[in-house]
Amino acid sequence: MSKQQTEVRYGTLDLLVLKTLETMGTMHGYGIARRIEQVSGDALHLSQGSVHPALARLEQEGWIRTDWGISETNRKVKFFSLTKAGRKQLRVEVENWEKATALVALFLESRP
Amino acid sequence: MGEGYRFGGALPGVAAVTLRRAAAGLLALMRKRRLDRELEDEVIAHLELAERDAIARGLPVKDARAAARRSFGGIEQMKEEQRDQRSLRWIEALLRDFRYGLASLGRDPGFAAVAIGVLALGIGANTAMFSLLDAVLLKPLPFPDPERIVSLFEAPTPAARNGVSALNFLDWKRLSTVFEALSAESPTSVAVMVGGEPVSYAGKLVSADYFQVFGVKALIGRTFAPDEDQPGAARVVVLSHSAWQTRFGGAADILNRELVLDGESHRVAGVLPAGAFDRGEAVFWKPLVFTAGQLTRDFHWLRVTGRLRAGASLEQARDEMRTIGAGLADVNPPWKKGWSAAVDPFGRQLVGDSLRRTIYVVFGAVLMVLFIACANVANLLLAKGVAREKEMAVRAALGASRGRLIAQLLTESLTLCVLGGMAGVAIAYLLMRAALPLLSPSLPFTADAVLDLRVLGFAAAVALGVSLLVGLLPSLRTSFGKLTPSLNQASRGSSGSHAFVRRAIVAGEVAVSLVLICGALLLFRSLLNLRSVNAGVRIENVITMSVDLPSAKYPASESAVQFVEAVIERLHAVPGVERAAAASDVPLEGVRDGEVMLAPGFPGGVNVSFKRVHPEYFSALGIPVLSGRGFGAGDRAGAPRVVVLNQELARRVSERFGMADPVGKVVRVSTSDYVKKQSTLKDVEIVGVIRSERVGNLHDPDRPVVYVPIAQAPTQEVRLIVRTRGDASAALPGIREAIRQIDPRLPLGRVSTMEQVKERNLSGTKQPAWVIGAFAVVAALLAALGLYGVLAQTVLQQRREIGIRMALGATSRDVLSHVLRNAMTMVAVGLALGLAGAFALTRVMKSLLFQVSALDPIAFVIACSAMALVGLLAGFLPASRATRVDPVTVLRDEG
Repeated sequence: MSKQQTEVRYGTLDLLVLKTLETMGTMHGYGIARRIEQVSGDALHLSQGSVHPALARLEQEGWIRTDWGISETNRKVKFFSLTKAGRKQLRVEVENWEKATALVALFLESRP
Repeated sequence: MGEGYRFGGALPGVAAVTLRRAAAGLLALMRKRRLDRELEDEVIAHLELAERDAIARGLPVKDARAAARRSFGGIEQMKEEQRDQRSLRWIEALLRDFRYGLASLGRDPGFAAVAIGVLALGIGANTAMFSLLDAVLLKPLPFPDPERIVSLFEAPTPAARNGVSALNFLDWKRLSTVFEALSAESPTSVAVMVGGEPVSYAGKLVSADYFQVFGVKALIGRTFAPDEDQPGAARVVVLSHSAWQTRFGGAADILNRELVLDGESHRVAGVLPAGAFDRGEAVFWKPLVFTAGQLTRDFHWLRVTGRLRAGASLEQARDEMRTIGAGLADVNPPWKKGWSAAVDPFGRQLVGDSLRRTIYVVFGAVLMVLFIACANVANLLLAKGVAREKEMAVRAALGASRGRLIAQLLTESLTLCVLGGMAGVAIAYLLMRAALPLLSPSLPFTADAVLDLRVLGFAAAVALGVSLLVGLLPSLRTSFGKLTPSLNQASRGSSGSHAFVRRAIVAGEVAVSLVLICGALLLFRSLLNLRSVNAGVRIENVITMSVDLPSAKYPASESAVQFVEAVIERLHAVPGVERAAAASDVPLEGVRDGEVMLAPGFPGGVNVSFKRVHPEYFSALGIPVLSGRGFGAGDRAGAPRVVVLNQELARRVSERFGMADPVGKVVRVSTSDYVKKQSTLKDVEIVGVIRSERVGNLHDPDRPVVYVPIAQAPTQEVRLIVRTRGDASAALPGIREAIRQIDPRLPLGRVSTMEQVKERNLSGTKQPAWVIGAFAVVAALLAALGLYGVLAQTVLQQRREIGIRMALGATSRDVLSHVLRNAMTMVAVGLALGLAGAFALTRVMKSLLFQVSALDPIAFVIACSAMALVGLLAGFLPASRATRVDPVTVLRDEG
């Protein structure tokens, strides 16, 4: 896999969505997808549609909450926000992520 | 997850989260359609927003839509992913396995039918038995706050329980504070004219607050008002629901009807709701109004039940009743010195020890049957597992994990057990319909054995447990199979460890069957012994019937005496009647009155059963007079009082009072009055001693009985005993007619021949013997089936070996004995185990046995031989098949 654009790895998207909701508060699905794209610039290849399954998953876990709202195009859509459990989960995932990258970095730095 | 590191791997509170996810998934499964529509809406909204942004960025309208779609990615893939996300994979897998299980059962209908049938038998018998156990022992009594209902007794010693006298009951009621309601009852029966014919209705005389004790309110009308058990109150009755339905056709105007009971008009105050009171003998309840003469302390004719106040404990009630009992010591007659009052939970008094033990033993037996059924099905599955080893190996090779394969096999056994369980519930329903009418007389009236949710829950739990038990072993063994050998192995050779497990299971089945057969044989031997007990009375061609004389028409003792004498005179004229007698009690059915015999100069007396008999009683029942004389026509009212003793009492009297020969001696016997329910001491002369008859249970030793002439101690509750020349029931119409001629409004109560009386007496042993006997037969058949299955398969697998042996000169005799030896090793191991089990387990039946040791060698030998024979028969079919193996075919086919 030597593409320039990075594919979103399985599980990473959850982290991105959670982090986005933490920073931005309540958002609808499209808003979340746009925000992830904007923050990552063009470095990340994201099918915007894939946020929806991720949102469903996170909702099932009880990490995010859904409320009905009206979109900018006057349509009834779901708005998502973090729950308390979601905040906790985000901290855990961030910690895991940092541990993992630190571990990988350690390996990459080590010289023969 | 090839990277080896997983995001968000181990989480805190995994179990809770998983549970939550499972619940959400399950919900999602049910709301599938709505969720799909919502997702569709989300996608449309998303695309609109994206399109709007694209236009804002300056794209032309027609390109904007395409751009929005492009950046969204595959819509259908996304939907699919989302569905995956929300659904429960394991449920889908389970459903798939379940369908697969059904399909694979369908491919082998013979196997499925046998397995499901065997399981249905096991689960069904257990479910039926559990419903009985549940109704009698586990379920709370069917009344509100049942733990507050208690029984009260007069207690001659702290452990003994006696009925209650009227004055003591009234004092208890006046003095006690722990009871919300306290009620006395006494059984009664009345004559009702139905279409010109007198019919006997069983009922109860009860205190006005009787129904408060049980917390039962009338379905229509009312129960008794507080003052309705006082003298002078209007005559009212309460009817049971079933009596209202069956005898009055559920008439809506029942409350306006007048019922004529014993010739007296009564108003129906109310009808009880359907339930426990429909299962007792009583069909009506009438206020118990004490007459002046009944207000005594020395006649214990009442059964007392109370309801504790909310918050009052049994201990409090016991303490208070002890204090009250002690306070009444001075007013009690002197011979009741030291008597106290006892309080027991109502349930304890309802279910006797022997019924409790019988139910536990039978339940244990039915569990053994279930175990054998499980063993059989496990064995069948193991055999199937051997055949499926290749299928499993292929699946494993294609990437199925071992857990997944075990799950699949477990689901298959679950499928079997679910089907078996459903069929089992049907079997349980049929069993209960067939058996309950036979058993219900032995059950307390509160026991309502039905297939309710509790019982169905039990059946479901059993089916689940069985599926684990039956499925786990075979699936573990099957999945253990190594891939390569299974794939390479042609259909040859024996399958070592499987065969061992299967043989061990069969040996276990034989062992458990043997335990059951031993138990059944011990019970049958008890039954035989009981049957051959000499009851001391003639059983053949004797018919008995009860006649209750209503107080209104027979108010004084003289009228009762006249009735008895007139009836007996008339009965002598009936064709076919040889002897006719009257008594207060029928042999083997117990003696209702207990009195005391005293001798001048001796403190304290002998407790005796008190039986009133007509002079012809002894000769009608063939009871010989051992010394002195029986009663004669001269022993009438007004003549000197005389009594006859049975042998047992004569023995005690000579021991206690030092009378070497009691005949001719004068003793004092307390005697209860005709209507007054009052005991007085009379001086009486002992005129004879007769051989003891069994007055109560066949298996109880003889009790001391004093006989008094019925003319000198008349009773309202008369039992007629008629000996006929031929078949007793042939004379019955003539007997009925004779009684009608004397009193056309008097119904005959229970009519039974002495044979029937004796059979009823045996039922406590007969019922468990037949039930366990049936279980033992089923168990032995199942064990035989298991043995047959294993041998048949062994023969199939060893065809090659047998073929070679035969080619090398083995005769069919050799082959036959080889296979049978194989069978008998399994049986022998099973018998050894079973004997050990029987030695340990038949002990619990000790109290159900009569004159048989729990380790009776004859029963054990018969059981072993029977089981060995069953094993031999089961082995014979596969063995003879083995002898027909054609060496040439076998060797050519598989060489």
